[in-house]
Amino acid sequence: MNQPPSQPKSREQWGTRLGLILAMAANAVGLGNFLRFPVQCAGNGGGAFMIPYFIAFILLGIPLMWIEWGIGRFGGKYGHGTTPGMFHYLWKHPLAKYVGAIGLTIPFALVIYYNYIVSWTLAYSVFSLTGKYAGILDFRGMADFLAAYQGKISNNYFPNIMTAFLFFCITHFCMMWIISRGVSKGIERLAKTAMPLIFVFGAILVIRVLFLGTPDPALPENNIANGFGFIWNPDFSMLKESKVWLAATGQIFFTLSVGFGAIQTYASYLKPKDDVVLSGVATSTTNEFCEVILGGSIAIPVTVAFFGLAQTKTIAAGGAFDLGFFAMPIIFQKMFLGQVFGTIWFFLLFLAGVTSSVAMAQPIMAFLQEEFKTSRRVAAWIVGTMTFFFTLPVIFFLKHGFLNEIDFWIGTFGLVVFAILEVVLFIWVFGAANAWKEINSGADIRLPRFVLPLMKYVTLAYLVALMVFWFIQDGWGVLTMKGVSAADYPYIWFARFMLIGIAAFMVFLVYIAWRKPHVIQRRVPE
Amino acid sequence: MTSSGWIFLIVSWSFILFLMIASFTVVLRKK
Repeated sequence: MNQPPSQPKSREQWGTRLGLILAMAANAVGLGNFLRFPVQCAGNGGGAFMIPYFIAFILLGIPLMWIEWGIGRFGGKYGHGTTPGMFHYLWKHPLAKYVGAIGLTIPFALVIYYNYIVSWTLAYSVFSLTGKYAGILDFRGMADFLAAYQGKISNNYFPNIMTAFLFFCITHFCMMWIISRGVSKGIERLAKTAMPLIFVFGAILVIRVLFLGTPDPALPENNIANGFGFIWNPDFSMLKESKVWLAATGQIFFTLSVGFGAIQTYASYLKPKDDVVLSGVATSTTNEFCEVILGGSIAIPVTVAFFGLAQTKTIAAGGAFDLGFFAMPIIFQKMFLGQVFGTIWFFLLFLAGVTSSVAMAQPIMAFLQEEFKTSRRVAAWIVGTMTFFFTLPVIFFLKHGFLNEIDFWIGTFGLVVFAILEVVLFIWVFGAANAWKEINSGADIRLPRFVLPLMKYVTLAYLVALMVFWFIQDGWGVLTMKGVSAADYPYIWFARFMLIGIAAFMVFLVYIAWRKPHVIQRRVPE
Repeated sequence: MTSSGWIFLIVSWSFILFLMIASFTVVLRKK
């Protein structure tokens, strides 16, 4: 291994270790913890789902966390907070930095649509408080309410898309403001405020749900115990189906926010001898607490208590958004002090979402600051302005499938491809012995030796299987635009060209950056 | 909820809480 040059003094660092773990956990905790997990669990064998889920957590999730933390801290030692620089030192090859550009493309492309979805939760929090959707007590009505908000249709509630646009602007400004304040004063402070609030709001909602009992005595089978039963009663026959194992593995992959490029950037602000092993475990388990204990105890149990098992199955089959944006607003209206609990629910989702979108914006921020020597404020303006304009087609072409197209190629397929690349580069190219030494350096607990072959073979095999299955199951259909109406083809092609354009732009930025004198000074022979 | 449902809930919650409390105990002690 090369001896790292002294880390530039201007690089930011985390204020406290607790702040770092909360920021990492805040990055991982997102909308999926509270909406996607319960739907996946209920639809894939209930309690039995937890068997492949925990197996994937141990064999894929935690090892991948350690790998990303290790890569990040390694890059930080050389003054690089993003994967172009990190990969340059892992694989001394001219292509390495351009492969690393994927670690800029993915979080950037994620921000441009995730931020918009996060803005819906802020809007619904306000709508719940002000009673905007009061009186809509059926699914058709709530579906129309959301469709009008998104500009897909026009009705009395929303004549145009301007309300959604306004809430997006507010959310976007919040993100820009936080990243402009830096790692310690912006991201860490946000995490130290948001994570305790997520715990408190989650606990309030769980306690409320537990005490709901049987909301309608005329329908005694619609109760909270049956709601928990719907999530937890194991259906072992489902374990024979590969789709259950795929769903559990996919859920672990999404929930830990691995393959984003964001963990590496956060970890790059560690000191060279800071622990990554125990911190990685603490982060992962905090995320699991929010997902399994809080997320699993709110939306599905309460839906069963109010709508019954049969209707909950239909809602869960409709997906996470049907549960979060159609069922939950109706349920809160039927509940005592429902306006308050509805506001808390959607604000909880907003906090979970905004902490993740800040993490997604940080890699490109770090790249501009470190490789182009841009000031933090200017970098925030550049990132904010670029992501704002790229989000406009997502907002205005939503009904044409623009968001779904980007979500598949970036938010599903892209993540697993990038995760495979980083495992190969770190464990196979950089070398298993070097990677092992890097991860264990400064560790608070010693990792058992079997973890190394686990990372080298099992974690990688899991990722490759996930990529192949996803491509067969969904990728080919998305690629060939199966089920897409001919009228939407131009929008789908626009989304694809936009993604290719973003990737090409990131490669170009890396090309320019590698010609800057301060980067040349730190380069190693390729 | 069936008894096996309770078992899965309790085992899952205990596993997560154990790992979380154990890791945070060491993290906070060594900060």
